[in-house]
Amino acid sequence: MSDRTRALAPRMGVAFSTLLVVLAVAGNALERSVAQAKNPVQAPKFQVDPLWPKPLPNHWVLGSVTGVAVDSDDHIWIVHRGADSLSVLEKGAIQDPPTGCCVPAPQVLEFDRAGNLIGHWGGQGSGFDWPHSTGGIFVGPNENVWIAAAGLAPATARGPGGPGAVQPNAPQDAQVVEFSGTGQFVLEIGQAGKPGGNDSTTGLDRPAGVSVDAGAKEVYVADGLGNRRVVVFDAATGAYKRHWGAYGGKPDDSPLGVYDPGRAPSQQFREVTCAKIAKDGLVYVCDRQGNRIQVFHKDGKFVKETVVSKATLGDGSVWDIAFSSDPRQRFLYVADGQNKKVWILDRSTLDVISSFGDGGRYPGLFYGVGSIAVDSAGNVYTGETYEGKRVQKFAYQGLAAAGQNGSTR
Amino acid sequence: MKWKRDISVGASFIVVAVALAVGQKLVAKTTPAQAAGVVMAPKFEVDPLWPKPLPNHWYQGMTIGVSVDDKDNVWIVHRPDTLSASEAAAAQNPATGTCCAKAPPVLEFDPEGNLIGHWGGPGPGYQWPESNHGITIDYKGNVWIGGNGQNDAQILKFTQDGKFLAQYGREGKNGGSNDTENFGRAAKIFVDPKANEAYIADGYLNHRVVVIDADTGQFKRYWGAYGHKPDDANLGRYNPDAPPAPQFRNPVHCAELSHDQLLYVCDRVNDRIQVFRPDGTFVKEQFIAKRSLADGSVWDIAFSKDPEQKYIYLADGRNQKVYILLRDTLEILTSFGDGGRQPGEFFGVHSIATDSKGNIYTTETYEGRRVQKFVYEGLAPVTKLDQGPPWPASTTR
Repeated sequence: MSDRTRALAPRMGVAFSTLLVVLAVAGNALERSVAQAKNPVQAPKFQVDPLWPKPLPNHWVLGSVTGVAVDSDDHIWIVHRGADSLSVLEKGAIQDPPTGCCVPAPQVLEFDRAGNLIGHWGGQGSGFDWPHSTGGIFVGPNENVWIAAAGLAPATARGPGGPGAVQPNAPQDAQVVEFSGTGQFVLEIGQAGKPGGNDSTTGLDRPAGVSVDAGAKEVYVADGLGNRRVVVFDAATGAYKRHWGAYGGKPDDSPLGVYDPGRAPSQQFREVTCAKIAKDGLVYVCDRQGNRIQVFHKDGKFVKETVVSKATLGDGSVWDIAFSSDPRQRFLYVADGQNKKVWILDRSTLDVISSFGDGGRYPGLFYGVGSIAVDSAGNVYTGETYEGKRVQKFAYQGLAAAGQNGSTR
Repeated sequence: MKWKRDISVGASFIVVAVALAVGQKLVAKTTPAQAAGVVMAPKFEVDPLWPKPLPNHWYQGMTIGVSVDDKDNVWIVHRPDTLSASEAAAAQNPATGTCCAKAPPVLEFDPEGNLIGHWGGPGPGYQWPESNHGITIDYKGNVWIGGNGQNDAQILKFTQDGKFLAQYGREGKNGGSNDTENFGRAAKIFVDPKANEAYIADGYLNHRVVVIDADTGQFKRYWGAYGHKPDDANLGRYNPDAPPAPQFRNPVHCAELSHDQLLYVCDRVNDRIQVFRPDGTFVKEQFIAKRSLADGSVWDIAFSKDPEQKYIYLADGRNQKVYILLRDTLEILTSFGDGGRQPGEFFGVHSIATDSKGNIYTTETYEGRRVQKFVYEGLAPVTKLDQGPPWPASTTR
């Protein structure tokens, strides 16, 4: 027994037999457990619910899921890319002639907390531009549903019709659209085919995320895959209010080159994929390919930033953010589609304290996890894009000693 | 102790009363149906947490073969090179993320779903297929692997440790459906323990079943649809309203011999099973979901584990389900599954096998990329032709 462990033993306050067991483990594990006993880091713990949600009716299948949100009744809403993100082999029932299973589900689906499908709508309509490639979804306290439109102009239409099918020569997405909870059109900000640049007060460019500050009646748009800014509009009228870029500066289109983890952080956002408002008024912005979160006051004043998984290339690590459900929102959950996991951060320090998930098609594993939301009980819901094509539920199990890369099974 | 007895008496009474009520209900419910002939079929429930997650951030590609050995270990073969750059981010140069790496092509799981073995890929002395396809553990414990890559004309045999044993046919040497040395993009192998003969579903290029000596690889016989001499004439596109095709279409996707020595051949794109005697004599055929187009409905079959092999389980990657057939009549009794990425759903359900307890294992190709386990729950009355995902009863819609 080393002097150090002997000295620690009384403080650990454990029976001698327990101490022997503790000593039986490897030395570094002992040091780790001692460190945790002295300064235990607690993090939310989750368990995947492999049978949530319930199977969809009508042989409906999900395309790439790009957004998930939870409303004030704890209903879970998702938006997915529908027919255009499904191969002909996945949508055989809408071929002419039909070749087999299945049918693209309507693009907006509402589930209750038990996982029953209780609502579905979405698609083209008159008076608004339905996204040909959806981004995020947000449901406000008035139950209105906001959807970001994040798609490039398609070169050609792919495959037959059905929900999510794009017409040839469809205009590029450059809008966010508000609907009632039953899918009635309410408001559109920006317009498809009319992208606005980083200084535009009317146009957007492939916005990826949207959220509403109900108290201030303002809508925050993560703008986006084309622009490099956060834009704030009046939520009732769609009137422009303000915008800002990285560090609260003026966003521009200067060439940034490929992300290089060895270089100083970029003075511009690379891809703005979320803008989420905490209860204390701080705004958390996802700079996806910049692998970072930047934090602002609502007026755009920069507060701080943190880099998550700095060496990440490809699509980047910071895709979407959700807050834990406790009143203080002590934790941030970051969906990282490139590393196929959910990071858990201490919101006050922005330190990564834990993570869960890994790559794969089994429950609790991910491919393209790009959207995340939390219900009032603290359960986490994730949406997977690309060929992930799922929504998954992770049941909150309370706080536990933090461990990196925890299993949720 | 009196209170205890009272309770137990009370409990017994309740049990009896419940039993009577249930009995009456059952009698009321089932008697007329039974009079009309209740159909019983094997019932399954998906195990959503089987197998356990792979180590090392390993990720599976298209998973195109499954077989169960005599220890009930489950073997799969998949294609690591089908992973996208985004899926195999850690395998890029430079790595674009921490996840994931490509799992070795052959993976062995124990019945609890733990990964207990892994190997596969090119090595000295043999030609690993460009596109591996199908895995079979034979009665001697040897591992057979086919290949449906453009130039694959060979099949391989290994020990369970991955030691190379034999290669039959040579890459790039395909000579058509009457070649007696090479295969044409072979899909799957079955080994008959009685005659020590291997049956090869041949394949994605050829239009035949081939029988070889399982030890020497010597060609013994082969035949096409209806037991005819196979030919490679282009049949054009499958038309469900046309007379049945005189030849197999590509791919000939399975050839499985039952205990009573009937060979069931998957003619995938023709949406049919053809049944033969081991000498190639045609017995009968059965169409399955005949209007299925594109890649067809009859992908793979497995027999139920009862000695009579009363049922056939048929994987249909076009309609995303598993049919349960009465083997005697080849009539569909019921089916389970549906399209999707959740447990009990499928995308490209490609291969199927059963273990000694009657559990079913399936693998999915395309973007399905999974192996799933369906736990055998005994025989149950058929209430639906199309059961959907076989989830635990308490969770289904």
